[in-house]
Amino acid sequence: MKKAVSVMVLVAVAALTIFCFGSVASAGDEIKMVGVITKIDIAGKDAKTATATLKDNKTEQLVVITVEDDLTLDKFKDHRIVEGDEIRCKYEVIDGKNVSKLFRKTAGC
Amino acid sequence: MRKLEKLLIGAAVCALATPVVAQAEDQDMQKKIDELTKKVQKLEEQQKGSDQKKVEDLTRKVDRIEEKSLGKWLTIGGDYRFRVDSLRGDVAAHSDAIGTMNNLVGGFLGPNGVAGTPIGSADGTNSPTALQFIMMGKSGSLFTPSQFNTILNSYMPQAMAAALPGIFTAMGSGNFTVQNTALTPQQQGILNTLGAKVMPTVMNMQIGSIPNMLGLVQAMNPAATATTKVGDVFSGLPAAQQQLAQQMLMQAFLGQAGALNNNVSNLATTQAYKAKNDLLYTNRLGIDMHAKATKDVTVNVRLVAYKTFGSQDDSAVTNNGNTPFFADRVGAFDGTLGHVPTSSLLDVDRAYATWSNIAEQPIWFSVGRRPSTNGAPSNLRLNNERPGNGGTPALLVDYAFDGMTLGWAPDIDALPGAYAKVCYGRGFESGFETPSNSLRDTDMLGVALIPVDTDPLRVWLQWNRGFNIFDFPVMSNTAFGNTGPATSLGDIDWYGAGFMSTMKNIGPGKLNFFADAGLSVTHPNNNVSNNAGFQGLMTGSFFNQEAPTDKTGWAAYAGARYDYEPTKTKFGVEYNHGSKNWITFAPAADDMWTSKLGTRGDVYEAYLIQELNLKPISSHLSKAFFKIGYQYYDFAYTGSNNWVGAPQKISDIKSTDLMLLQPLKSAQDVYATFEVKF
Repeated sequence: MKKAVSVMVLVAVAALTIFCFGSVASAGDEIKMVGVITKIDIAGKDAKTATATLKDNKTEQLVVITVEDDLTLDKFKDHRIVEGDEIRCKYEVIDGKNVSKLFRKTAGC
Repeated sequence: MRKLEKLLIGAAVCALATPVVAQAEDQDMQKKIDELTKKVQKLEEQQKGSDQKKVEDLTRKVDRIEEKSLGKWLTIGGDYRFRVDSLRGDVAAHSDAIGTMNNLVGGFLGPNGVAGTPIGSADGTNSPTALQFIMMGKSGSLFTPSQFNTILNSYMPQAMAAALPGIFTAMGSGNFTVQNTALTPQQQGILNTLGAKVMPTVMNMQIGSIPNMLGLVQAMNPAATATTKVGDVFSGLPAAQQQLAQQMLMQAFLGQAGALNNNVSNLATTQAYKAKNDLLYTNRLGIDMHAKATKDVTVNVRLVAYKTFGSQDDSAVTNNGNTPFFADRVGAFDGTLGHVPTSSLLDVDRAYATWSNIAEQPIWFSVGRRPSTNGAPSNLRLNNERPGNGGTPALLVDYAFDGMTLGWAPDIDALPGAYAKVCYGRGFESGFETPSNSLRDTDMLGVALIPVDTDPLRVWLQWNRGFNIFDFPVMSNTAFGNTGPATSLGDIDWYGAGFMSTMKNIGPGKLNFFADAGLSVTHPNNNVSNNAGFQGLMTGSFFNQEAPTDKTGWAAYAGARYDYEPTKTKFGVEYNHGSKNWITFAPAADDMWTSKLGTRGDVYEAYLIQELNLKPISSHLSKAFFKIGYQYYDFAYTGSNNWVGAPQKISDIKSTDLMLLQPLKSAQDVYATFEVKF
């Protein structure tokens, strides 16, 4: 029993540590924003890229984000992320494009 | 000739002069055209400006209307399900505790009984029925303390004393020995319990107060008088005779069939039989609402009506007023409303408000009737979407809690989708503390760590603690009457770890699979549930009290589902095992017999889902599908999903063992559904 508790505590501590280090490590030139999707453009089921237009909650400006990661593209394709969803996004400007580094629905339940 | 020359010269001059005049007219014309063009341009600009203004006005109006439109802030959806179940179960031979008490009560009404003795002056109940005797006091609770004192200090001692003359007569015949009156382990336990709680009163009774006792005792000991106490008579017997008398007293009290009782038994023995319900039809309607109230604040609501065809109560799954099979199917209660078939009334299954992006961080706070049901990985067999940040692992919790959550979902490149949350829920509110109410609230605290949450991998780690676990939840019109918590039995810790994964492009489809493990550790206090016959937190059996000790149980759960995408067909298999002392908190699970994840034994399930290839209309995720499935439960120990009382090995159950719930050796459920999610 004590072993099981110890293992759980160790795992919890390890996870928290990763959380903390991860948070520090993630700071960079990336731009973070929270906004609502106003438009998603994706070309079919085999598309390798898509754009999502987000209305920034703070500035109310429209920002076009280019999404290239498969996990998010899958969510576009099977409508787990749709227009109207609020997104927490992190992106970098590469060759004039806002390329998504993190694109997930704002957390909460 | 000169005239002709003059005429020609004049014509030539005119011909030369004409272009000059025409050019002058063109210039005028061009000027006029330019002026007109400018005027038109000006008019056009004016018109354009006016149109643009109109468009802008219109756009503003549309935006304003859209901002306030229902579709902008409110999403409505839901689901409908028709389900048919065919249920089979093998009941082990046993003795029904309530039925036995019913027979004993009949004995009390005899000339030597205690008929007319009120069970507690406040209730004024005379000539009690078995339910009143053992389970039911007043609406909303079981025994009051005064009722129980009357039973222990009056009813039972008088009933036991009434059996003594017959015992002494039988002993005198010499036909009974210690060996041939040997008790079963449970009877020995009951004797020990009665020895501590009832026998002191019996031993202190005067033999003159017990009909037919004085003459018998005086035949053995002429010095005995009416004021001689039963204890003095017993202490005057040799040790073997004392043991024999006690064993016979126990058997006489329970009325075990045999020569001692003229082959009449008070034991309500149920022989092994097959319980079945060939066809059970149910309807379930769920209405889901999601409202964006303000920036960062949302409200979610789910209303559910779940009923049996031809019924407006839960009797189809609680055994129609007869002794139920499982603790989580004795009746519907707070956390299972909408999850077991009850009525066509819409219950509030979920209603919670969530404040997200607190301090512009990925932090949220949510409070209300929580989405603490149908957690991962049960979404696979239910054909639901993944639960997202909501829910708790189904192996540990499946219960509609009223509570709150504080969560944090940091952006960590190495741990995509990671989040952590602390959850709190109230399982029972005990009300005002008064001189007559010392009950404590039942609460649940949980910590969830989800280090990764992506399609290919979702991992969860969970710890929960249940505080002041009650003995019976508040239920109405059950086989045990109207029940309610009468005592707190202790605390329980739960630990869990699991994962699920979805792998794409496995053949023509996707493969989903998961594995989960859980650990439960009970911490009983010194309380026992009088209403359950002195059973404690995973300790004791009916009228067989046991010293409190911590009990550790474990469970494992694994399964897979293959999604064959060309035809939208999904096939899944699942298996779970629970150890002897495994206890979970999942009474709201979507299983008819009992929550399969609380089983002390093994459960196998296979199912096939066929989605209809129809274009979604009401939402992107709307769908319609058929599902057929089969569940097989193989119970190794009694008390699945019940924390009151110690588990007993099914194969060791004797027909004389008193059981509050009917023990099943195995159970099967063949089910089919037609479901629409909109």
